[in-house]
Amino acid sequence: MISEIVEQRIKAAESAPPIQLEGIARDFFDGKVLRRVLKKLDLEIFAGELTIIAGPSGSGKTTLLTIMGFLLQPSEGRIFIQGREVTRFSSNRLATLRMQKIGFVFQQSVLVPALTVIDNILLPSAIQGRSVPRAVKARARELLEMLGLRDYVDAMPQQLSLGQQQRVSIVRALINDPPLLLCDEPTSALDAESSAIVLDTLKRLSLEPTRAVVLVTHDPRVFPFADRLVKIEDGAVIYDSRQGRQGVPTS
Amino acid sequence: MRRKTGFRILTHDRSTTAGSVLGVVAIVFLVGQQLAIMFGLFTYMSVLVDHSGADIWVLTKDVDEVNSSGSLPVRYVDRIAGLREVEWVEPLILGGGSFRSREGKYQPVQMVGLPRPRLENGPWRFDEGSLQVLLDSEGATVDSLDLKVLGYPGLLEFYEVSGRRIRISAITRNIRGFGGTIIFTNIEKAREVSGLPPGRCSHIILKVRPEAEVSAVASAIRTLLPRTAVLTSPQLAASTRLFYILNTGIGSSFGFSVIIGALVGVVIITLTMYTSVLNHRRDYAVLQAIGARKRDILVVVFWQALIVGLIGVFVGFLFLAGFIAGTRNGQLPTNMPLWFPPLHAAITLVLCLLGSTQAMRKAVKVEPASVFR
Ligand SMILES: Nc1ncnc2c1ncn2[C@@H]1O[C@H](COP(=O)(O)OP(=O)(O)OP(=O)(O)O)[C@@H](O)[C@H]1O
Ligand SMILES: [Mg+2]
Repeated sequence: MISEIVEQRIKAAESAPPIQLEGIARDFFDGKVLRRVLKKLDLEIFAGELTIIAGPSGSGKTTLLTIMGFLLQPSEGRIFIQGREVTRFSSNRLATLRMQKIGFVFQQSVLVPALTVIDNILLPSAIQGRSVPRAVKARARELLEMLGLRDYVDAMPQQLSLGQQQRVSIVRALINDPPLLLCDEPTSALDAESSAIVLDTLKRLSLEPTRAVVLVTHDPRVFPFADRLVKIEDGAVIYDSRQGRQGVPTS
Repeated sequence: MRRKTGFRILTHDRSTTAGSVLGVVAIVFLVGQQLAIMFGLFTYMSVLVDHSGADIWVLTKDVDEVNSSGSLPVRYVDRIAGLREVEWVEPLILGGGSFRSREGKYQPVQMVGLPRPRLENGPWRFDEGSLQVLLDSEGATVDSLDLKVLGYPGLLEFYEVSGRRIRISAITRNIRGFGGTIIFTNIEKAREVSGLPPGRCSHIILKVRPEAEVSAVASAIRTLLPRTAVLTSPQLAASTRLFYILNTGIGSSFGFSVIIGALVGVVIITLTMYTSVLNHRRDYAVLQAIGARKRDILVVVFWQALIVGLIGVFVGFLFLAGFIAGTRNGQLPTNMPLWFPPLHAAITLVLCLLGSTQAMRKAVKVEPASVFR
C-alpha cells in the first residue's frame, strides 16, 4: 500500500512538470509607449503543490497567469506543457490544450448565467461539440457532492451565493481532470467562511500527485496555504521559497 | 452543448431575442406582402389570357400586351380555321367604354365581346346568373368587386356604356383586370361600344387539337398571316406582365418596397444580434477560456441565428397568411404562387444569417483574457 503511494509519487516527480515558462516577456502598448509588463521571466510549476504567486497590484500576476493559460500570447519566450513546447501552437490547438490540461478559477465566478449549474460544469467536456461521456457526468455529481452542492445541480447560477458559485467554478475547472489549475484571487470576492472552504478545497486538490495548483493573490492571509511562495514585482520574480530551483528548467 | 448554450442564451434574454425575431418577421411580412400584391396584380394583368382556354392569340402586329386594342379582319378567322390542327377559333373584341351609373356618373370600363353562341373566353365565376345571359343581344355582366364603383347597378336593369344600351343580367365573382372593371358582353355589343367597323375584331383566339403542337401551329399561322402578331397564351401573359412592369413603374415601385422591407429586417437583425453578443461578451470569453475554438463559438451564435430565423419565418408567414386571407374578396389583389413561400423562407433565412455575421465576428473576436479583468 505504502510502496504503491511512494511509487506514484516517484512517477509523478519523474514526469515532466505540468508547466514551464522560459524567458517569458510581455509588452503592452500604453497609449504610444510600449511597456514591458513581464520581464523575461522563468518559472516552473510542480505537480502535487499549491504554488502561490504574490505581488503588489500591477506587478503582472494576472498577465502571467493568462499567459500560463494560453489566454494571452507572450511577446517573447517559450512555454512547455508536461515537457512539450506549445508556444507556436495554433489557436485551435491551444483551445484544446486549455480544455484538456487547464482549469481556471477566476476572481469572480464566471458561470454562464443562461445555463444551469450542471450544464455549466459539463461545458468544458462538451463545448467542442462532443457529447458528454457518462463517466464525466458521474464525476460532475461526485465533485458537486464533495463541495457540498448536491442540492444545486439544476439550479441557475443566480440562485447561488457567491461562495457557492465559486465552488461550482472549481468543479467546472476540474471536470476534465486537468494537471494544472490556475486561480486568480479566487477568494477576494468571498466572505471569510466561503474563502476558507474554497482555499481548503484548492489545498486538497493540490495534494494529488498529478496536479499543480497555482493561485495568484496579494492577500498575505492566504500565504500559509502555500507549499511554495513566489513573489513577483514589476514583472520579475523577486522571491521563490523553493530557492535554487527558481527559473531552472529541467528538460 | 454548443447548440444548447446558444438556445439557452436566446431564452435567457427574451427581449433581445424578440427584437431579432421581429427583424425576421419584418422581412417575411413586408417583402411577402409587397410581392403577394405584385403577384396579385400580375394575375390581373393577364387575367383574360390565363382564363381564355385558348392556346394561341392573334393580335395586331407590334402589339405585345393583351389589353391594348387593335384591329384585325374577322375573315382571318376562316383562314385559321382552315388549318387542320385547329380545334376552334373565334374573334374577340376588347375595347374601352364609359359606364354611366344610375346617378349619371361615368366610369371607364373594359368591354370584352364574345361571339355567340360559343362564348369562348367568357367569365368563369358567377355570383348571379350564368354565361348564357350573354346570348341575349343586350346581356352583359359586371363583377361583384366593381359594384361599388359602378354605383350598385341593379340586376336585370338597363344601363349605358358609351351611349349603348346594355342589360346587366349576371354578376361575376372576383374577375378583374389590371385596367379595372371588366364587362363581358357579346361581340356585337362590344363592337358598337368600341366603334370597330363591321368585319373587324381586336383579337383572334384559338385552341389547337390535343395531338398538335402549339408552337408549330403558331408558326404556321405566322406564315399564313404575316401582318399579325401570333403568341401562345403563356407568351402573351408573360409579355403583358413585362409590359406593365416596364411601362407603369410597378416594377421599380415594388422593387423599392421589397428592398426597403428586406433592409429594415436585416438592420434590425444585425443590431439585435450584435447587442446580444455584446451583452454576452463575458460568456463567449469564458467559453473560449474553457476550450471553445473559434468554430465552436461560431456554432453557438449561428445556432441562435438559425433559431431566430426559423421562429421569425414561422411567425412572419402566420401574419402573411392572415394578410392574404384578409384581402381575399377585397379590393386589394393578392396572389401567392406555390413556389414562392419556400423560396421566400429560404432567402429570409439567408438574410437572417447574413445579418448575424457581424455578431458572429464580434463573438469570435472577444478576448478570452478579458475574463480575468
Ligand atoms: N490588455 C492590456 N493592455 C495594456 N496594459 C495592460 C493590459 N493588461 C495588463 N496591462 C498592464 O500590465 C500591468 C500588469 O497588469 P496585471 O493585471 O498583470 O497586474 P496584477 O499583478 O494582476 O495586478 P492586480 O493585483 O491589480 O490584479 C498593469 O500595469 C496593467 O495596466
Ligand atoms: Mg490581477
